Amino acid sequence: MHNMANSLKKAFDLAVEQVNDGGGIDGHPVAIKYEDSQSDPKQSVAVAQKFVGDDSISLVFGDYSSAASIPASPIYTAGKLLQYGFNNSNPNFTAKGSDYQWSTSITTSASYEWTADYIKDQGITSVGVTYLNTADWGVPAYNAFKAEAEKIGLTITDAEGVLDTSDDYRPSLSNAVAGKPEAFVHIGYGPDAAKIVTQLRAIGYDGTFYGGQDEQSFDATPDAVGSIVGAQFLETSPDAAVQAFVTAFKKKYPSETDVTGFEAGAYDALNVAVAAAKIGGTTREGLLEGFKKIKDVPSIVYGTITFDTATRRIASPKLTPTILKEGKWIAYTG
Amino acid sequence: MLDTLIAGLLRGNVYALGAVGISLVFGVMNVVNFAQFSFFGLGAMLAWFFIATLGLPFWLALPLVLVICGGLGLVINITVVRPLAKFLPLAAMLSTYAVSQILDNASQVAFSAQFRVFPAVLPTSNLQIGNMRFGTSDVVMLGTTAVLMVAMSLFLKYGRIGRAIRATSQDQEAALQMGIPVALVQHVSFVIASALGGLAGVFIALYVGVANPSSGLNIGLTAFVAATLGGLGSLVGAVIGGFVLGILESFGIHFFGDTSRQIIIFVILIVVLIVRPGGLLGKIPLISTEPLTGTFLGKGRPFRIPRWVWPVAFLAIGVLIPLTGNNYILTTGTQVLIYAIIAAGFTVTAGQAGVLALGQAGPIAIGAYISAALTLYLDFSFWVALPIAGLVAAIVASILASPIWGVKGHYISIATLGLGIAIVAVIQLVVPQGLYNIPVPQWFGTPLSTPTAYYLIDFGVLVVTLLVMFRIRSSHLGKVISSVGSDEVAALASGVRGRDYKALAFAISAFFAGIGGSLLAHQYTYIDPTIFTMLMSLLVVTIVIMGGVGLPYGAVVGSIILIGAMELLRFTPELRIMVYGLVLILVVRFRPGGILVRNS
Repeated sequence: MHNMANSLKKAFDLAVEQVNDGGGIDGHPVAIKYEDSQSDPKQSVAVAQKFVGDDSISLVFGDYSSAASIPASPIYTAGKLLQYGFNNSNPNFTAKGSDYQWSTSITTSASYEWTADYIKDQGITSVGVTYLNTADWGVPAYNAFKAEAEKIGLTITDAEGVLDTSDDYRPSLSNAVAGKPEAFVHIGYGPDAAKIVTQLRAIGYDGTFYGGQDEQSFDATPDAVGSIVGAQFLETSPDAAVQAFVTAFKKKYPSETDVTGFEAGAYDALNVAVAAAKIGGTTREGLLEGFKKIKDVPSIVYGTITFDTATRRIASPKLTPTILKEGKWIAYTG
Repeated sequence: MLDTLIAGLLRGNVYALGAVGISLVFGVMNVVNFAQFSFFGLGAMLAWFFIATLGLPFWLALPLVLVICGGLGLVINITVVRPLAKFLPLAAMLSTYAVSQILDNASQVAFSAQFRVFPAVLPTSNLQIGNMRFGTSDVVMLGTTAVLMVAMSLFLKYGRIGRAIRATSQDQEAALQMGIPVALVQHVSFVIASALGGLAGVFIALYVGVANPSSGLNIGLTAFVAATLGGLGSLVGAVIGGFVLGILESFGIHFFGDTSRQIIIFVILIVVLIVRPGGLLGKIPLISTEPLTGTFLGKGRPFRIPRWVWPVAFLAIGVLIPLTGNNYILTTGTQVLIYAIIAAGFTVTAGQAGVLALGQAGPIAIGAYISAALTLYLDFSFWVALPIAGLVAAIVASILASPIWGVKGHYISIATLGLGIAIVAVIQLVVPQGLYNIPVPQWFGTPLSTPTAYYLIDFGVLVVTLLVMFRIRSSHLGKVISSVGSDEVAALASGVRGRDYKALAFAISAFFAGIGGSLLAHQYTYIDPTIFTMLMSLLVVTIVIMGGVGLPYGAVVGSIILIGAMELLRFTPELRIMVYGLVLILVVRFRPGGILVRNS
């Protein structure tokens, strides 16, 4: 997780720098304290206590993974400290959380319902599926996909639960494509999708691969070319705000060749928090009030962000179909 | 069917390479080498670095990887493993685990934890048998292994050092008396094993297409099982074990799915150990002592603890900290206390019965899930669910472990390690979703959800645990269990059924592990299978080793040091694991009985 944490930190630091250059929150500079929980619930709980006990902290971003965020949630709730799980796509983070859990991440259910609809719209009638059999992510995502597929009449010829710690998926994949599906869906992250698409092609399956993630190992995998996913953030988007962010990010961190949805989400998150503080004030109570009131905060991921205060998620997030070509994801209109 | 078979063969090839290295080192040193696991990850990353970053050709990169891994292996053997293996095979095994932690982290710092696309140096899907496509790359890998294995067997049969390796693995002391340079033999074996590990790592990356520094653990564990399957110490067995396991795993996944991978592997392991306790080709030990026996216990006596320490410690931990500590200290304290409970309960297995069980995460998970389910779905009170969680953990773990008590030596560690992983894998298969909103403990309607309340509950349970442990130790039963650990042969000769007492000790430990799991579940209020990892099991073992393997109060000290110190090192996340590994090596090196035990 270190590499992910590092790129998120870079995006936060850039956003903080820009906010403070622009005068901070009504003159108050913004600062972030980082703690590494290693996505380990044992540690995220301890970190949560540390943050709750630190009066200088008015809002917490994270944890990175839902499996570490959720165990820490009761502590943040008890400490009346807003826990902004900007990266937590597990619907349960907010659904089973309290008033103090908010997220701008699209839920896995929403994104895989979209995927099922999109595949059907492409004129495809049957898919083979692999999904990560993980509690915090893959299982709820697959359940949402399956329910939507049943509703719209998309046939799942076979679905195989897999683990991201495996590296040889051939026995599962030969099962998954035995029913000769027209296309293939993998519900998971970049590194596992890279292994899966490579091995899928190695066993001779040629249908379109709906899966993967804008992430270094997947983007560079030769067999991943032509993969299609729904994306929220697109580095190549012509949008002026997006390009301003991409330029500023690469200027500050010349070694970064790619800017992904992770960095964009973190950058957005800080700006959302700042917008809330400008409305409600910089105290813990003020930020909570601010989150309930903010509307149309400019976002490089969604265009603008407005919360649905009942779900504490973004109201109707949109996805754009994108295809991987020459190591970059571009909008797909096929 | 044919494609599943080919997939299994290709997979088995990698396991065979890893297993030969593990078996080789075990044969000449009687040490199970966890560091081997790291060479899988390291080999892959080094090859990636040479080819993708430096642009070297594959045929140059491969020997470079082998030389570096072999050289590192030599350094590790000289500095860490051999000095410890001379008098403590088990300490050496733990230190190889520490070394593997250090290597994995060093490799992460050097290459970053990023997954890297491994360059396709050879075609990977230009050939076809039936529906299964494969490539020149796969054929070259299989061919390389075949050539290597023939070369190895010729070397072992006719080579000077090869014959010395065989002699040493048959009887180290006799070999020494015959003038065989055992030190040299061990160094050579370690170098070969490490280089083979590196090679296996490169092959994995070639086959999978992606590499990252921590990818070694799972494959290493499976290669380890393959070595056990073939019979530790037998090289032909290791090769056979590797291929057999690869093929069985492949068919298992074909029928039961990828999520049951670990269950399949460990069911195979346990079945083999029951049917042939020494593995397919290994020697079946008639009478052998447990690796812990007569080593830790014989190495020293515990320091005398002055009487005044007990009330002072009670006041400091039970009164002073809850009164003065802030929430952060108290929350960290609850973790320390819970692990102290689990580890104190574990001393009866590890210290008294002399069985180094490596799978405590299994009973911890059972306790957590039982307690969560009882309170969530059947409206049990926490106070009732807590002891039930312990009882169920003890009963289930005992039933599952019952076939393995006939197994001896290191095999018992491996079998329990497998058991722990398999229990968690079964839970993941049955309830992949996490459990949310686990009720917090209540006291006549008042929820006890503050850090102070959790801390005091855990403290109370710890005090009870320690009292029970002391009572057991001083009872007749405790002395009988200790006799099994001190000298199993003598105990058997005196009519003590060692097997039954080991099982009983394990059940007692599982009870406290279950209690610990229940406490964790109600404090996190959320559990899922990713919490109960192999690292959790190993943490329990290291806590016990740290404090003094037979001392329940030592577990408290070990827990304070290992969990508390990890918090202190939070400021340097990169170095944290490395410092942890280093501390472990130093303790094992200079205080092999634990820090509360005087060297003798």
